[in-house]
Amino acid sequence: MDMDALSAMRIAAYAGGGFAMGMGALGAAIGEGYTAAQANIAVSRNPQISGDIFKNMLVGQAVAESASIFALVVAILLLFFETPSAGYIQAASLMGAGMCMGFGALGSGMGSGFPSAETCLGIARQPMASTRLTTNMLIGSAVCQTPAILSMVVSLLLLFMQFKDIPFQPGWGAVIGAGLSTGLAAIGSGYGGGLAAGASCEGVARNPNSVGNVTTTMLVGQAVAQTSSIFGLLISFVLIFKSFPESQALSPAIALLSAGICMGFGGIGPGVGNGEVARGAVRWVARNTESAADLMRIMLVGQAVSQSTAIYAMVVSLVLIFVI
Amino acid sequence: MEELGKIHQLLFYIAGYPIRLNIEVMIMTWIVIVVLIVFGWLCSSRRAMVPNRFQIIGELLVSKLYELTEDAMGKYLAQTYAPLICALFMFLVLCNWLGIIPHLHEPTKDLNTPLSLGLMGFVIAHYAGIKSKGFKQYAREYFQPMFFMMPLNVIGELAKVVSISFRLFGNIMGGSIIITVVSYLTYSILLPPLLNAFFGLFVGTIQAFVFTMLTVVYISVQVK
Repeated sequence: MDMDALSAMRIAAYAGGGFAMGMGALGAAIGEGYTAAQANIAVSRNPQISGDIFKNMLVGQAVAESASIFALVVAILLLFFETPSAGYIQAASLMGAGMCMGFGALGSGMGSGFPSAETCLGIARQPMASTRLTTNMLIGSAVCQTPAILSMVVSLLLLFMQFKDIPFQPGWGAVIGAGLSTGLAAIGSGYGGGLAAGASCEGVARNPNSVGNVTTTMLVGQAVAQTSSIFGLLISFVLIFKSFPESQALSPAIALLSAGICMGFGGIGPGVGNGEVARGAVRWVARNTESAADLMRIMLVGQAVSQSTAIYAMVVSLVLIFVI
Repeated sequence: MEELGKIHQLLFYIAGYPIRLNIEVMIMTWIVIVVLIVFGWLCSSRRAMVPNRFQIIGELLVSKLYELTEDAMGKYLAQTYAPLICALFMFLVLCNWLGIIPHLHEPTKDLNTPLSLGLMGFVIAHYAGIKSKGFKQYAREYFQPMFFMMPLNVIGELAKVVSISFRLFGNIMGGSIIITVVSYLTYSILLPPLLNAFFGLFVGTIQAFVFTMLTVVYISVQVK
């Protein structure tokens, strides 16, 4: 079947838009449902303050929803925005943009359900600390959104960049790979950051005086857990901005595509694993504030070791891009 | 919308070599520096037992950041590095807040600013490590747990620079792109001020704090 560039672009835009919103709806819904479930438990434990818990649940759900709102923005842009130049490479990049945002919203949406759920439970346990808990939750959930924001950056770059001069043959692999690299790597980081934020809200509820130490440990833990999605962003940038020579063979395109896939899947595990490390550290900082400095050091070393697999994935991706 | 991801550059030649300067970023950085100097002057010019407003803000900032540095590094090292940490945090916060004023842009939106600050943190951390442990012990740590892990350990250290600077860059650039796109879609009605408050003030402060804390932590991990 032969088709012109314009209809190829339409097909890619519709498929990408559908994919972005469909996948983007998945994570946030799970996170919000988890929040509501824990809010029910919290209300049944302490019915007198059901108003506070209800308010907090709504705020937490609103923050958790922002990842899927990013997906909505990208989907609407894909459906209605007319890109000035038409070309097969542009069609491939629209497809990549959709996939990037779809996968990228998954982890952050699920992850930011944890802090809001733990905050609802915490308010039931410790109503006096509810302001501190809500502030901590907002900070934690906002940092959880970083991987989704990074995927949005990549998908908007793929949407608006002009790829006219880039040859189609290795180029399509590069743009789809760029989308997959950040999108997939964001899943683990978003989820892992959520684990850390959840533990910190639980910790503040147990020991409201530890809030300074707990928030600092949480932020550092989340930041390190995001490293794998930042590697994904780096590989995407290399794939988008490097120019590749034209070739008739299929293998260079597949190499670039698999560089993206390699970094993307390689980033999922370290993101979740680092989140687990941060969760443990944050939980015990709240219970044992005196050893906060030691706990943070051990957390960082543990995260660095569990991150080495993401570094292997990055090395293989860079080899696929630059050597082959 | 075509402005997305484009940077105004000044191009000139010195002895045939092209020199590119991101002129807009430099102007914005100088605005931040001037504001910081004026703020510092206001804080410290009329010190008194009963402090004025600026003195309170300045003392609060410095004492909180000093405490945080002391918690992570210990008393002795904090004396050396706390001024750097305070300056870094105040510079970054102001950089990230600059974008909420129309026609001004965050210097951190250009990768050059976070990357150079990240490199600065990297150099300082390793200098502190060599100084406190001696070069032999410092070099030996790269061959842990086994000697053939050396290249991967080196890559891991370099990856820290990449991750710390791309995190700041991605967040600030992402925020500004989202604001641009949403303003375009809604014809600048209602939503953009809220987005500015969220991405400019809130996320900007958090990311400045994360960057500062990670610099502190990287130094303290190298030293211990």
